[in-house]
Amino acid sequence: MMSKLSNVWVFSDIASRLPEVIAGGVQLGEKVSAFVIGSEDEIAKAYSLGATHVYYLGEKDTSKIIEDYAETMAHAISNGDTNTLMLLGATKRGKALAAKLGVQLNAGVINDASEVTVADGVTAKHMVYGGLAIGEEKIVSPIALITIGNGVFEAAQADNSKTGEAVSVSFIEPKAAIKCIERRAKQGESVDLGKAKRVIAIGSGIGKQENLQMVADLGAALGAELGCSRPIAETEKWMERERYIGVSGVMLKPELYLALGISGQIQHMVGALGSQTILAVNKDKNAPIFQYADYGIVGDLNKVVPALISAFKG
Amino acid sequence: MKIITCYKLVPEEQDITVKADGILDTSKAAPKINQFDLNAVEAAVEIKALVGECKITALSMGGKALDNPKARKDILSRGPDDLTVVVDEKFEHLLPHQTARVLAAAAQKNGFDLIICGDGSGDLYAQQVGIQLGELLEVATINAVSKIVSAQDGTVTVERALDDEVEVLEITLPAVISVSADINEPTIPSMKTILAAGRKPVTKLSAEDLEIAEIPALVESVSVLAPKQAERKQIIIDGDDEDQVAEFAEHLRKALK
Repeated sequence: MMSKLSNVWVFSDIASRLPEVIAGGVQLGEKVSAFVIGSEDEIAKAYSLGATHVYYLGEKDTSKIIEDYAETMAHAISNGDTNTLMLLGATKRGKALAAKLGVQLNAGVINDASEVTVADGVTAKHMVYGGLAIGEEKIVSPIALITIGNGVFEAAQADNSKTGEAVSVSFIEPKAAIKCIERRAKQGESVDLGKAKRVIAIGSGIGKQENLQMVADLGAALGAELGCSRPIAETEKWMERERYIGVSGVMLKPELYLALGISGQIQHMVGALGSQTILAVNKDKNAPIFQYADYGIVGDLNKVVPALISAFKG
Repeated sequence: MKIITCYKLVPEEQDITVKADGILDTSKAAPKINQFDLNAVEAAVEIKALVGECKITALSMGGKALDNPKARKDILSRGPDDLTVVVDEKFEHLLPHQTARVLAAAAQKNGFDLIICGDGSGDLYAQQVGIQLGELLEVATINAVSKIVSAQDGTVTVERALDDEVEVLEITLPAVISVSADINEPTIPSMKTILAAGRKPVTKLSAEDLEIAEIPALVESVSVLAPKQAERKQIIIDGDDEDQVAEFAEHLRKALK
């Protein structure tokens, strides 16, 4: 019983996420009203992607933070249809803005939505308990605020024949502004396992720290990133926290996931279940990991891993 | 400076099991301090070291688990000078907008210059209570704080690591900030601080003490269910002889393509 709202508001603080939020707006609303902060080009971009109305908040002002536009947006939204939804990208700024708007508009907020439906009210799903479960919540206030994760809506394609005039919106001073005294590009990314195509993960079964070298060699031979279970990162501290897979850790989506000496508790597995193919090496044939594996071998890591290295080396 | 650091007790995630129907069983999971809130407490301790004259109050609301002396000692052993808990059965499973309203009432009663929250909670991970709290209190509020640069009476300067850039922000107090998990490494309490924690003052408030205005119904929880698992081939080779490893390597080779 999917229906459409008469108007959906959209905003993205990051240009690359705009095509997705607009696509969401097109799917869920008859009209799509985009807030734009930035150059005139960005107004044209919003129209070309499918926005039917653009509300222009002006050029970027480096001393202002995006969140200080909350009052301005809330004012525009409250002047429109009462039954409405605003979609934002699930960025740090998107979430801060959504929460501020939630209080200002007395509206329900759901972050990191993986699915959004409009029926009688707006319903969204998002991960809870570190990935052990999916929570489904329904926003019952007239205005709904939702930040969406990457890839929830297929990005809208630009069509330059679609154009329009923007409505200028004047800035409303926030009650308590925050002063931005410096802004700089982020320093080089650290490892992002969530984007790796192949991942080898180690668990307590690895035995001793010296064995990490042979795992690194296998990783090099397979072109795989290395990850681990919680005890390896938190108790042994043999790997950084960014490499820990599972509840409150990294959620993987690789083509291949190879588990070495990991027993396979659900708290770890939730991070690995998004893998296309799961392989496991474990000496205990009753280890739960084998229930989640496509291919497994019951054996000694010290025998299996070196044999795999020689089988795959250059 | 008067700092409040908010925390939530959540079920120990390692002890949560998933039942066949997809419902989570938290009955064997003991309540523990939400991991992200330990970063908030540590940030408060860090600010106290910068400003000298400073009192840290830990604040939580929830159900009966907050009465547990061990859980109280646990939070107090991490640096707060005192503790305020708002306990009511009906606060057991609140949604974020409700939690923010209860905390706002408690913070107003206590008084504050700065409130520090974690990035989210390990159970619902709604990531909005801190900002909503600041907004309800009508003070400056921001999330994703990744570093405390300086602190003095009246202002704090912080760094904020965003998806694409880092902002350095000067925040006039009173304010509410939410800190990210990478802001610090929470200190593990020593035996001495654990013993001292038992002597720190605790204030217990009820819902009535706070005179909270009616909480609006903005969101309803529909369900919390474990996702269905994908079918796996489960081809398991029992043994690590040369031939068996070669067979496994062959499966691995195919999966690499």
